[in-house]
Amino acid sequence: MRIMLENLTKRFGTVVGVDDITLAVEDGEFVAFLGPSGCGKTTTLLMVAGIYKPTAGIIRFGERVVNQVPPKDRNIGMVFQSYALYPHMTVFGNMSYPLKLKKVSKEEQMLRVQEVADKMGIGDLLDRRPGQLSGGQQQRVALGRALVKQPDVLLFDEPLSNLDARLRLSMRGEIKHLQKELGITAIYVTHDQVEALTMADRIAVMNRGRLEAFDAPDDLYDRPKTLFIAGFVGNPPMNFLEVEVCQENGAFYAVNQGLRAQVPPERGEPAARRGGRVILGVRPEDVTLADAGEVRGSVFLVEPLGRDDLLDVHLDAANRLNVLADPAAHIRAGDTVTLSLNMQRAQFFDPQTEQSLLWR
Amino acid sequence: MAASAHTSQMRSLNVEELEYQRAATGELVGQAVFSALLVLLFFQLGVILFKVLEPLIRSAPGVLGSGLKVEETLTRAIASALTLLAPFAAYGACGARLRGLAAFDRRRALRVALLAGAVVYAITAMGQWVFQVGPFAEKPSLEMSFEQTADGVLITGIVAGGTADKAGLKVGDLIIAIGRAPTDLAGLKEKIALSAFESKIGLRIARDGEEELVPVEVVPVVEIGLAPLVGGLLLALFIAVAAVVWPGGLTPYVLMILIMVPLLIGYLWLVVASFSYRTEGLLPVNAAGEFGGFTLGNWEFLTRAGTSSNPSIWTITLNTLVIASLMMVLVLLVSSMAGYALSRMNFPGRRSFLSLTLILHGFPAVTLLIAIFFVLRNVGKVPIVGDYFGFNTRGGIALVMVAFELPLGVWLMKGFFDNIPWDMERSALIDGASRWRTFWQILLPQIRPGILALGIFAFISGWGAYLIPQTYSIGTKTATLAVFISQRTSETAPTNWNELAAIGLYQMLPVFIIFVFAQEYLLNIYAGGTKGSS
Repeated sequence: MRIMLENLTKRFGTVVGVDDITLAVEDGEFVAFLGPSGCGKTTTLLMVAGIYKPTAGIIRFGERVVNQVPPKDRNIGMVFQSYALYPHMTVFGNMSYPLKLKKVSKEEQMLRVQEVADKMGIGDLLDRRPGQLSGGQQQRVALGRALVKQPDVLLFDEPLSNLDARLRLSMRGEIKHLQKELGITAIYVTHDQVEALTMADRIAVMNRGRLEAFDAPDDLYDRPKTLFIAGFVGNPPMNFLEVEVCQENGAFYAVNQGLRAQVPPERGEPAARRGGRVILGVRPEDVTLADAGEVRGSVFLVEPLGRDDLLDVHLDAANRLNVLADPAAHIRAGDTVTLSLNMQRAQFFDPQTEQSLLWR
Repeated sequence: MAASAHTSQMRSLNVEELEYQRAATGELVGQAVFSALLVLLFFQLGVILFKVLEPLIRSAPGVLGSGLKVEETLTRAIASALTLLAPFAAYGACGARLRGLAAFDRRRALRVALLAGAVVYAITAMGQWVFQVGPFAEKPSLEMSFEQTADGVLITGIVAGGTADKAGLKVGDLIIAIGRAPTDLAGLKEKIALSAFESKIGLRIARDGEEELVPVEVVPVVEIGLAPLVGGLLLALFIAVAAVVWPGGLTPYVLMILIMVPLLIGYLWLVVASFSYRTEGLLPVNAAGEFGGFTLGNWEFLTRAGTSSNPSIWTITLNTLVIASLMMVLVLLVSSMAGYALSRMNFPGRRSFLSLTLILHGFPAVTLLIAIFFVLRNVGKVPIVGDYFGFNTRGGIALVMVAFELPLGVWLMKGFFDNIPWDMERSALIDGASRWRTFWQILLPQIRPGILALGIFAFISGWGAYLIPQTYSIGTKTATLAVFISQRTSETAPTNWNELAAIGLYQMLPVFIIFVFAQEYLLNIYAGGTKGSS
């Protein structure tokens, strides 16, 4: 089922929840809505589900406009953050409820619920009540309930936020696997970029009700179109420095008080054309400790992350860099380090419009 | 460096115990005595407060009017109770201070408690001696000693120059009566103890075969016997030690039982009275005033056939049941739906409606009685509806009581619905349920404890209601049990209280049964299937 959102807007009184969003989710595609809390991603999802009516704009399922179609006639399955299992019903009661409302015969209910439950690995828990299940099992029941009615669209509202880290990892794989296997169009709302990056075919990044970008995970990471995306996607977040890019003898240099780094021409040229001060973005993993580096700074803080140490290096009063360093280097707070920036992967942004100077 | 850090950590684990070990016994006794003195001081402040309060209240008769006497004696009673209890509280506080030590070294705590208890006793005894209270208080006395003999009370000793001496009594006189009432030793002692200072007791004595009436003045005398002092000391030590070893978890239970006793006695009386002709306190007695006199006669009302003017108990019970059930059903129906709407929907006037309901909840029903009477009378004029919900009908009475119960019910239900996460409802809608079905099948089952609680609440308040049924029913046609009971008490004819006790017990029975079976539901908090909510 292809889902089209055309100029979708939702206002609550004077508060704008979702502001003029247009995007298309292809049939069988897994799309993540990513954004900070209150950015309107859940509101958008609830409009797709039919819980909220759009203030303006059109929602299409296939060719059909579903703006006025009540949720029960949209044939969607939804998994909530709180699972929203019915505590007074057994697992079987929960999972068969959508079928019961569709007036499916008792025998077929049993058959279909058992089939889905077996697939989810909860086939032996059908007589339990939700209160007797662990968080992971409740999550599976919720997913099973959404799947059992064979929906055209699967909606997820931060379904993994309440699970512990290990379980989250395995459920991530399972959900992704199930979705591909069943070929159901899915929309997945999350504020966790790792979830979005690992699971989604495409990611819609939202901020303050607006759609910032709608791209494949790699594109978002390597070719961020706005300053917001560059800063939001990636952990630890990208470093930003104010620089001037100038051309000397055919080579481009990013220059700042303590910095002078050569930029490859395909990235330096558009930045230099803009002129004046621009924002340079470098990811922490693209900054390395090197004796012959371009920048000097003092280490303010060392955060051991296990595989790497995250260094907070102060270049001067205003500029600081997050750097990923090898723990074997034994860097300590207070040390002075020289750093080298990998300008092959540098990003440049216009400080006024916050748009990328490299990608449009 | 590392080693010293290690030991300091170990020491910090039981630093409290170490502090106790290091403290000298004198220091510990001092601490205990100090807390006892604090308690004494606190009690004395209380006494002073009430002593100051008393003349203030007396000097403001205009404010308090004729109710003056009650407050006056109350303040005085509190002041003397505080004076009486102060030393005991002090011994207790002295022991309680040592409970920390007892946790580590029980025997040492007990030894210290004995020492400190003795010290505190010495201090309080000194205080009592200075202020001449407690065992040092002045007691009424005739300043002579006497003993019981076969003929009467024989005077065995007289204080020279004392009041008995002055009155002319001599050793060897035989006291046979006080005034004209014959007496023995116990009676005489009681008479003296209860006499006011400077009053006179007329002793009829037999001397040399002749009877004579001798008035003797009662004088205040301080008699310090060894027994009260030693007894006081032992009591002090006992309380101090008990406060050390007393299991602290029991205190709330003891307090609870103490508070409950008067209530339980009331119920006990109800049961005893309903099965007996007459009661003397809690004891059933027969006509001669001796234990006995059990009867089932008080329960005869159960079998009495009804007449048109005097319906049988079963008609009355049916009335009560109909009104209470109607009330339960209507209250549940209206408040669950109204509560849902107020919890989930946003409509103009929602907030003002909510605050209005709250005001209505606090509105005294009595002030509306006349207005409602007119409303009910007009409802009674409506054809058909009026026959069931007008004035002097069971439906009408139920309707009025439902109206008074609704504010509470609506707020209660709104609160319960507020606690159900929105997601639950959305999930049901997406699963294919209509909003109506969601309400009945998904939401209502989750607030079952609330529904049960409110339902039982409404039923019981309908079952026990008196004011509304009494006001809006004429005669006995629609009388409820409470009205029935009040009709049996008359200002002109003697009331059979024992039969009233039986009817009261009969009325209480269903409520009691409901509570026995429903408390599980009322106490059980429903285990939810949602995470992250509430």
